[in-house]
Amino acid sequence: MWDSIYYFIMVPMVYLAFAILILGVLFKLLVIFFSPRIKATLGVFPQKLPRPIGVLKDSFLVPAAFREDKLLWFFIILFHVSFLLLFIGHLELIREFSVIQIIPHRVFLGGGWIGIILIVSTLYFLFRRFRPPYSGISVPEDYILLILLFLTMIFGSHMNLASLYGTAGFDIPVSDYRTYLSSLIAFNPLLPEGITGSPHYVLVVLHIFFANLFLMLFPFSKMIHSAFTFIAHNTKRK
Amino acid sequence: MEKEKITELKKLIRSRLNRPMRYYLDLCTRCGLCYDTCHVYNGIPKREYSPVGRAEVVRRIVKKHFRPSGYFLPYWGDATALDDTIMDAVYEAAFSCTGCRRCMVYCPFGIDMPHILSIAKLLLIGNETAPEELVMLAEAAVEKGKSIDLFKDGFREVIVDLEKEVQKKLNLDHSEGLIPMDKRDADILYVGLSGAHSIVHPAVIFNAAKANWTLSFFEAVNFGAFLGDPEKMEFIANRAIKEAIELNVKEVVIVECGTAYRIMRFMMGKQPFRVSSIVEVIDRYISEGRIRLREKAIQEAVTYHDPCQLGRNAGIYDQPRGILKLLCSDYREMSPTREYNWCCGGGGGLVALDNEDFRIRSGKPKRDQIVATGARIVASACENCIMQLGTIQSGYGLDIEVKFITELVTENMII
Repeated sequence: MWDSIYYFIMVPMVYLAFAILILGVLFKLLVIFFSPRIKATLGVFPQKLPRPIGVLKDSFLVPAAFREDKLLWFFIILFHVSFLLLFIGHLELIREFSVIQIIPHRVFLGGGWIGIILIVSTLYFLFRRFRPPYSGISVPEDYILLILLFLTMIFGSHMNLASLYGTAGFDIPVSDYRTYLSSLIAFNPLLPEGITGSPHYVLVVLHIFFANLFLMLFPFSKMIHSAFTFIAHNTKRK
Repeated sequence: MEKEKITELKKLIRSRLNRPMRYYLDLCTRCGLCYDTCHVYNGIPKREYSPVGRAEVVRRIVKKHFRPSGYFLPYWGDATALDDTIMDAVYEAAFSCTGCRRCMVYCPFGIDMPHILSIAKLLLIGNETAPEELVMLAEAAVEKGKSIDLFKDGFREVIVDLEKEVQKKLNLDHSEGLIPMDKRDADILYVGLSGAHSIVHPAVIFNAAKANWTLSFFEAVNFGAFLGDPEKMEFIANRAIKEAIELNVKEVVIVECGTAYRIMRFMMGKQPFRVSSIVEVIDRYISEGRIRLREKAIQEAVTYHDPCQLGRNAGIYDQPRGILKLLCSDYREMSPTREYNWCCGGGGGLVALDNEDFRIRSGKPKRDQIVATGARIVASACENCIMQLGTIQSGYGLDIEVKFITELVTENMII
């Protein structure tokens, strides 16, 4: 029975998660697109920079957070930059990208530190919510998403760190991940023996399971800020 | 709450689910950065007076009635059904916010909280629990728009008296025609308020500048906007727009009223005339040499309070400062200033309500700012702000004078 559950998580649930993610985000954007426009403009002033540059600055450098809470800003930047590096790392688990290998490195930039930075940042975001006034405005969604991220990252980070530094070794080689992930993309799913036969298979399954849940919640939770932030900043600068 | 009422209120919410509302409702991560950017929270530190606290009241209702998660798993986002208890929280949220949008400047996503609260205000109208004062004032303004011909003669009589005041200030030997009305093809249609000062000072300035102007029969103030009724807001704003189009004027100049200016300039779409604030016009007249002021005539320390709707929400920062720096030998800037300036606590129709104690407490950051400048005169360019600054002055016993920019200009104009 566990084999079937593991297989479900590793293959059908991944497809389901990505389908919900893509269709969900698309749905959310379409809802906005088909909602009535308003004739008012909602900008705030001054508007010194040209709008596109201002939108990029507000979205990527988060100057509003820098002004109000420098420690939070530090973790926001740290978290999002690390997330981007982690995304690149996962691309390299699909196949080799020579562009990314301009700086030669082992798969996953940062030698395991990126995962640790993300975990620390996630814990900061989580613990920050335990104290007032932030506890007063937090809803279960806020905690659950952070816990989900923490769980995804702790297993993912463990898989990476253990293969790099663990004395017991983490016996799944990059080539097996590449076989698995590229086969998923080719819609011809393969689960190599190297993964399913590994004593650490359960850790891979847990990592994928929590990531799947996170992706499925993405369009219907506050994570949608990653798409809407650009639209809202554009409105602010109109 | 009855089922029919809930259906009716849900319909009202749906009517406000426009494009920006859709993403503003979904976007907030509840990071809490806006928490203490609100002057009300700063003066009365309660969660319900924080910007996110207010917006969450609306979000919880929307989640409950318009999101599958609110139906299947309300726990996920604290979704809350419409009932009398939540409507009390809706009132508290809607009418503790002045719509200053200072929180928007500090929000990492630029969420317009007052835009979200437009749902709250509409719900209160639907629930018949909106502030009665605002309902009555908005209805009176609409009624005046519908039957303006009945008001014209009475208004003309009042204006004759005001013309005499203008005559005195300008040292002229006649008063006729100093405040023209119903003048076709004028360059300017000036929209004032019901208070005499809002007509007399600008009339002095327009006459001194030999402007080709005419006075509107309507007041610029928009109680429909304060109430949060989009139809009444449009109707009230359209009164002056219609008048401007009928008279074929080139420019509509709005009295020192931040909300009226923002509505006319940014909320009514494109118009066939230019929209300016009276402070922009004064600045223009000075730079064109059409009026002359006694430079550095005011010796006492002066500071300027940026009305939120004129500064942060409309971009008029430099013109009032230019005028004051010309007039005053000791001009002092508040800190923080411009887009980060604290709201005085009088906007959003709050000065029209019976809530003086609340406004004194929520005016604390403004009080602290004024005291820190050491200024004796606090100038501003908004009727609501001037009234609220007066409340702060008396409430905290400050030794200051609160003045309109137009007042300072007419007092120090070389005639």
